[in-house]
Amino acid sequence: MQTMVEVRGLAKTFRRADGTAVQAVKGIDLDIFKGEVFSLLGPNGAGKTTTISMISGLLTPTVGDATIGGHSITRQPTQAKRLLGVVPQEIALYPTLTARQNLEFFGRMYGLSGKALATSVDEVLEFIDLRDRQKDRVETFSGGMKRRVNIGVGLLHKPQLVYMDEPTVGVDPQSRRRILDTVMRLKEERGMTVLYTTHLMEEAQELSNRVGIIDHGQIIAMGTVGDLIQKVGEEDRLFLKVGDQAVSDEVLRRIQERVPGVTRAVYDPPGAEGEDRSNTSGVIIVSAKRGRRALPQLIQIAMEAGIEIQSVEVREPDLEAVFLHLTGRALRD
Amino acid sequence: MRKALDIALNDLRVFFKDRGNLVGLIVVPIVMTIVVGIGNGALAGDAPQRVRVDVVDADGTALSAGFIEGLRAANRTLALCPFDSGEDDLCGLGDDRTLTLARALERLVAANTTAVVEIPAGFEAKLQAGEPVNVIYHANDALSAQNIALQAVQAVAGRMGGAQVASALAGRLADSDGLALTDPAARAAFQQSAYERAAELWSADPAAVAYRLSAQPETRITSRQAGFGQSVPGMGSMFVMFTVFGALYVLIRERANWTIQRLVMMPVSRGQILAGKILTWFTLGVIQFLVVFAAGLALGVNFGKDLLALAVVMLAFTLCVTALAFAVSTLLKTEIQANSISLLLALTLAPLGGAWWPLDIVPPFMQTLGRISPVAWAMDGFRSLLFEGGNLGTVLLPSAVLLAAAGVFFALAVRRFRYD
Ligand SMILES: Nc1ncnc2c1ncn2[C@@H]1O[C@H](COP(=O)(O)OP(=O)(O)OP(=O)(O)O)[C@@H](O)[C@H]1O
Ligand SMILES: [Mg+2]
Repeated sequence: MQTMVEVRGLAKTFRRADGTAVQAVKGIDLDIFKGEVFSLLGPNGAGKTTTISMISGLLTPTVGDATIGGHSITRQPTQAKRLLGVVPQEIALYPTLTARQNLEFFGRMYGLSGKALATSVDEVLEFIDLRDRQKDRVETFSGGMKRRVNIGVGLLHKPQLVYMDEPTVGVDPQSRRRILDTVMRLKEERGMTVLYTTHLMEEAQELSNRVGIIDHGQIIAMGTVGDLIQKVGEEDRLFLKVGDQAVSDEVLRRIQERVPGVTRAVYDPPGAEGEDRSNTSGVIIVSAKRGRRALPQLIQIAMEAGIEIQSVEVREPDLEAVFLHLTGRALRD
Repeated sequence: MRKALDIALNDLRVFFKDRGNLVGLIVVPIVMTIVVGIGNGALAGDAPQRVRVDVVDADGTALSAGFIEGLRAANRTLALCPFDSGEDDLCGLGDDRTLTLARALERLVAANTTAVVEIPAGFEAKLQAGEPVNVIYHANDALSAQNIALQAVQAVAGRMGGAQVASALAGRLADSDGLALTDPAARAAFQQSAYERAAELWSADPAAVAYRLSAQPETRITSRQAGFGQSVPGMGSMFVMFTVFGALYVLIRERANWTIQRLVMMPVSRGQILAGKILTWFTLGVIQFLVVFAAGLALGVNFGKDLLALAVVMLAFTLCVTALAFAVSTLLKTEIQANSISLLLALTLAPLGGAWWPLDIVPPFMQTLGRISPVAWAMDGFRSLLFEGGNLGTVLLPSAVLLAAAGVFFALAVRRFRYD
């Protein structure tokens, strides 16, 4: 397999205004192969954007380097960047310009002009399905439409490689579906290599040939979805919603000790990790082999502790479980 | 550099898409130019502006006093300093009304006076003994107003001493130490012409002298020119700052919008991006000047004879302000900072540098302090063109200062500019 992107020992330390240092990325090694969709899956603040920024020439790494198609991003940035399309996490567009004006301008920045530019812009507008809105200002678009223009800009020069940094953030389910389909089409119809970052395990699971799980600036696991799920074995996860009732460590310990097949029990309190997440309810997350069988005993223990369980959900092994297995924390979606 | 140009064109398009920017670029500056122009015109009054000539009488005799009276009679538009400095401080002397030769020469260098006439000690004695005596005329040859003063001196010298009083005329830059022409041939020729002229005037009706002097219309400054000739370059400079300092806010917005970052991730060098951004704001500054100058033209302002010199001052100032904006932008983080700093900078540098009123009406220390403002240098250049018939030569110094400052600011900006 041909390597498209090679990342070696990449690290970034930010210096805050107050003088303290933030190690956003702590030494990442990574190979992305030609024609694959590689997902970087990790929670907020894991270092996904910082990594993308370094391997696209925006940020200078504190240590390490990356090559794109053999060109070092630090030493031959222009050659490296020519091969690459980037879709940043932010909607990096001029809001008062029309969709077409945005695409035309960024197309010129990729070195396109004249007829080639016009054709390319037309094709992209077709691809993102915004031909009929091309003369409207981007600021009048819905979130999903802006996201599509944002993606379109990264495709103008028909790159072999595209980075997409959380391209579905803040869009409705329908638009999300559309964007995921777009990624699949890029891979299947154009044979493009895609580096996709997300904090949503379903996305990584659906799109990726391979996944790297990133947490606290480090890749803690990497492989195909199948490989990664193997790591957690056959464990199911049980989600017991408890509302805002307190769950003591004692209860968790009792679950782990008394229920056969349980390997782990953690409590995820309501409203944790802030942001716009809708986890208004606290959840006890239990990993167990043949989880359904453990259920009656779990409920028993909860009742003994005076905790009323509001709902129960059993999930088959997935990337979420892998993350939980590796970090003891929920990835959250 | 093709991409830098594309970046600038795109940024300009974004700027002009916002109709609010047109109000700031056209309506407000023109209204302010008219209002401030009327204010300054009223200040100047309708009397023709009098040309200052500093007279240092080291002799202090009846004859030297007669010489001064003769000068006054020869041309009434001359303000003979310190004698004519009344309540209104016509001579701009401030509280200390004594005028030593050294002070007069300083004023000449600073263009606070157009010429210095030095009557040496022993003037009366030598004249009465029939010995030759020199009245020394110091001028900054850059100023055309010297002509009327020079003619008056020559006329009086001629009348008083006939062939005995020779005017040694220092037709050289006032800051050089010599008081007379050093080249003997030139000196002889000059003195010869002075003799001839003196003789001619002596034989002619003295009224003819007055006629000759008043036939120089460009030295008569109307209140319209005094008002708008001040407000057009003044408000022009100030609004160029307002417009160009808009970059502070926009650059922060562009980082927040990630459009700068997106450019960096494209095959465009950082140098091209920065060049494009600088070109954008420099161009907007020039457009702002042109808007106000066009208004000035409509208001009947006389921009002088040398349009090339006018363009040089205008471009040097705009470049300096652009460089300053980019240097300052490296220190700012938030949009609120950007807005307040740009307002603060424009609103201090403008009056400090004489954009609101001519600097020669403020106390000397404020005049000195004003030199830290690029506006002061631009106004030097503009005023020499609009009021003193200056040319490329007279705007050389202010333009050079502005360009040097621009160089320093750009060096800072290039080193510290943030792309992420
Ligand atoms: N310019 C910066 N200065 C200081 N700290 C920073 C800077 N940029 C990022 N960080 C910190 O580095 C860490 C990683 O941030 P990064 O944006 O790479 O995370 P992420 O995985 O992209 O998160 P998200 O899913 O929220 O986008 C965070 O702790 C963040 O606060
Ligand atoms: Mg991110």
